[in-house]
Amino acid sequence: MRLFAPFSNILRLGAFALACAGASLLSGCSWLIMDGHQSTIQVEGPVARNQLSLFLVTCWVTLVIFIIVGSILAYATFRFRARNQAEEEAKPPEQGHGNPMIEVGLIGASVFALVIIAVPTLKSIWYTNDVPAESKENAYQVTATGYQWWFKFEYPTEQIAGYGALTTGDELVIPAGRPVHINLRSIDVMHSFWVPKLAGKVDMIPNRANYLWLQADHPGYYWGQCAEYCGESHAVMRFRVVALSPRDFEEWLENQTQPARSVPVPAGDAQARPQAQFAALREFSQNETGSSGAFEVDPLSSWRAKQFVDKGEDPVLIARGKVLFAAPPADGGKTCGTCHTIRGVSGAIGVQGPDLTHVGARTTLAGSWLDNTPEQLRRWIHNPEAVKPGNKMWVNGYVPNNIKLTPEDEAALVAFLESLK
Amino acid sequence: MDALAKSEFLPKEHVSQKPLVLWRPTAKTGLMSWLTTVDHKRIGFLYGFFALIFFLVGGIEALLIRLQLAVPNNHVLTSHQYNEMFTMHATTMIFLAVMPLSAAFFNFIMPLQIGARDVAFPRLNAFSLWTFVAGAIILNIGWFRMDGAPAGGWFGYTPLTTHQFSPHHDIDMWVMGLQLLGVASVAASLNFVVTIINLRAPGMTMMRMPVFTWMTLVTAFLIVLAFPAITIALVELMMDRLFGTNFFEVSNGGMPILWTHLFWVFGHPEVYILILPAMGIISEILPTFSRKPLFGYPIVVFSGASIGFLGFGVWSHHMFTTGMGAMATAAFSLTTMCIAVPTGVKIFNWIGTLWGGHLKMRTPMMFALGFIWLFMIGGFSGVMHAAAPADAQQHNSYFVVAHFHYVLIGGSLFGLLAGIHYWFPLMFGRKISEFWGKVSFWVIFVGFNVTFFPMHFLGLNGMPRRTYTYDADMGWAQGNLIATIGAFILAIGVGIYFVTMIYTFFRGEVTTRDPWDARTLEWSLPNPPPEYNYRFTPHVHARDDWWHFKQHPDEAAAAKAEHEKEDAGHGGIHMPFQSIYPFTAGIGLLIGGIGVSVVDPGSGRKLAIAIIGGVILVVSIYLWSLEGNEGYHLHPEDEEPHS
Repeated sequence: MRLFAPFSNILRLGAFALACAGASLLSGCSWLIMDGHQSTIQVEGPVARNQLSLFLVTCWVTLVIFIIVGSILAYATFRFRARNQAEEEAKPPEQGHGNPMIEVGLIGASVFALVIIAVPTLKSIWYTNDVPAESKENAYQVTATGYQWWFKFEYPTEQIAGYGALTTGDELVIPAGRPVHINLRSIDVMHSFWVPKLAGKVDMIPNRANYLWLQADHPGYYWGQCAEYCGESHAVMRFRVVALSPRDFEEWLENQTQPARSVPVPAGDAQARPQAQFAALREFSQNETGSSGAFEVDPLSSWRAKQFVDKGEDPVLIARGKVLFAAPPADGGKTCGTCHTIRGVSGAIGVQGPDLTHVGARTTLAGSWLDNTPEQLRRWIHNPEAVKPGNKMWVNGYVPNNIKLTPEDEAALVAFLESLK
Repeated sequence: MDALAKSEFLPKEHVSQKPLVLWRPTAKTGLMSWLTTVDHKRIGFLYGFFALIFFLVGGIEALLIRLQLAVPNNHVLTSHQYNEMFTMHATTMIFLAVMPLSAAFFNFIMPLQIGARDVAFPRLNAFSLWTFVAGAIILNIGWFRMDGAPAGGWFGYTPLTTHQFSPHHDIDMWVMGLQLLGVASVAASLNFVVTIINLRAPGMTMMRMPVFTWMTLVTAFLIVLAFPAITIALVELMMDRLFGTNFFEVSNGGMPILWTHLFWVFGHPEVYILILPAMGIISEILPTFSRKPLFGYPIVVFSGASIGFLGFGVWSHHMFTTGMGAMATAAFSLTTMCIAVPTGVKIFNWIGTLWGGHLKMRTPMMFALGFIWLFMIGGFSGVMHAAAPADAQQHNSYFVVAHFHYVLIGGSLFGLLAGIHYWFPLMFGRKISEFWGKVSFWVIFVGFNVTFFPMHFLGLNGMPRRTYTYDADMGWAQGNLIATIGAFILAIGVGIYFVTMIYTFFRGEVTTRDPWDARTLEWSLPNPPPEYNYRFTPHVHARDDWWHFKQHPDEAAAAKAEHEKEDAGHGGIHMPFQSIYPFTAGIGLLIGGIGVSVVDPGSGRKLAIAIIGGVILVVSIYLWSLEGNEGYHLHPEDEEPHS
């Protein structure tokens, strides 16, 4: 969408980036190049691009005003300073009281500068407010619900018999190149849905039907975060958006609507012991990061790799994990199923926590704070409180039910959950 | 009337109705003299004293925040402690540092600028002070209790602050503390409005008032009109938390968006309450140190009033992401842009004041110039926020943190620090060292920019606010480290400023009267001013009357002698009695507030303590109303006041 501007968007963006890069080259400060995962400058969708263009208009207008006014101020400060005692004690200068002509002129210039900003602002408000009329029919519908401290995603157009809409958490997979209309809800307190490279944020407010729209230009992997203070673990309430080509997206939906993957124990092995060794979980320091650099070299490829079954799956261990997850406590279960749904596993029917039917295929855990690796998953299950202070799994699950897990239990649960591709 | 040469109390037979006076405090020195004072200068000093202490408290809270964020995945603070820190840092700086520091100047300086003896209601003035202290105590008790300090954010969004999600008493203390501060602020503001309207010296028309007095008036109106909104919101939240009502209980149809609106209807005028006094101070300092009048005085005054008025029409620019719909978003976007105009006008006028002057680069002038630069930058980032779709990316990110610190530190704080240096000679008779003043200015200026300039980039790079930690791979580590280093440089600068100020207070260079060759009436007084301020009520002949007097000494002296001859026949200076009841009323509010917010329900103790506090309050007010307000007469000996 073209905005009212003297230069093209690209030229302005380029000049801006050049200024930042130049400054950072000179000073060695990489912080000036805003190219992080949640950058609002290196955008990848039309909504964010529209918002960025408007921002650049405000930058240029204020820069011009700053240069003009700042020069006059600097000049006045140096030109009129009393250079010595004699000048200070001299007769006072002419006691001018003002100049209405200058005043009116400056007020007029200010208003003019604001009009330059106001016009594209109004256009942008209407553009970013909802999917453009001509694309409305093509828009894909998703509902995002904020929980303390994770995001639930539902696909109302994918209804699953006996369960309702397809439900996932942490990672929102969408089709690329197509508008996506996201209904925003909250189950508890105010949250906010912000994936900067694709769109500015809109808040998730309980008892209020907010929404936003966005679009990913190309397939890609995008970082998001809750942007409204929502309690103890607000800082670690994050999410991801994965945009796939239409064909990949259909394939993903096809897989997701299936019930949980079942790994049969080979005949005769029902009583066999699991093969894995139970190494002690290494000590994690307080607030240690859950993300590793290796994953991020090519996140979309890493995501794709996660869709495939891991090598060296241990069916007996997985079966043990399933029992721990979903069986009644009398049979050794750890009550996980009372909060988490795994479609196709009886006993795993809870809705307070994220749906884990295909959790093995996700790249992140625990509100996208941890990478989904066996080590991090085991860290999360081992001591949730140390990872996300105040999290409900700990407060409403582990503590009242006095859940204790041995290293063998943890390994089994990890194997089971990672098998859910 | 009385012909005696010393101060005395009014003989009983002169009153028509016998007052009930249990105890008439008369101490002029010592602790009791401070607890019973009704002198606006002492009250102003106390506001400043407490404000500067809380400024340091808020500063330590900020340094802890910066330490936690210095590197990724840090563990200096737990997440709960961090949430307490940002809540209390903001609440402390806004309500316990900047506002009371502004009040210190309103109290001390404004009556002197309009040639008045004191404010219109001296005991009410003292009551505001002690109620402020009570509120400050209640806000900070949580640090010493299991509940912890308030951790719901300074804006207390529901439903996070409802009982379900914040079951401890920290939020109750936050609500109660703010309510008491609101009472203090509104009472003081009503006092100032009445004072400015009614107690101006003869000849001091509204358009001859100093700009600082004008800004006091506008700020007072803003407080009176804005605080009711937050009062209502806090009452509703308190009723939800204590009595089970459902204003914000979502499970029973409550609407969190209601809180957001009520809070920001207060919250936006609040930021103008924070900046207008500093703008007033700057508008006094620049003319004095340029040796020429303020450029375009009527426009500056009108802009201040416009900002106050328009400030009530922009509140939802804090809510651009709450899904208000395109129409409302557009409306508030445009009104927010409008308010940039009067703000810009002030900056043009300040530059116009400098233009053609003889600029004396003293410390107050340095802070004033720093104000113009930094407030301008903060104003620009504000204009960026005004464009709502751009704000959709900036809101709740560090870009906003950068913006408001530029206008609040670079703006409000620089103005207040300038005011301290500027009026120090008047208040205490001593002048702060130029060398150390300038050192403190430069260290603060550099430290401030190193801290907050990178935050613009952090915000545009996607770092949200109110987050106790972040991962190394987000690209935020370097910016955060720079900001933390800057914060400690800023802290050193503040330290130098404080040490210099305290040293000067005790042992600084004693100064002559009117050391800056200033323009407004307060500088005609001895420094420090005597208890009664003006021996003879000044008669004002022009704007910047003191400058006018100095420039036309002969005619002014003749006029003055005329007036003084008239005044001399009036039988002495009428002074208000001191009183203990404002203090005890504050104690009552403190005890009652603790009962309501701190004590656990269920044992009857909560109700008992609340009632005891209420009784103390009511009895205090009752005795206050009965003790009469005749005051007494002072006859200062005819001698040349100390220079």
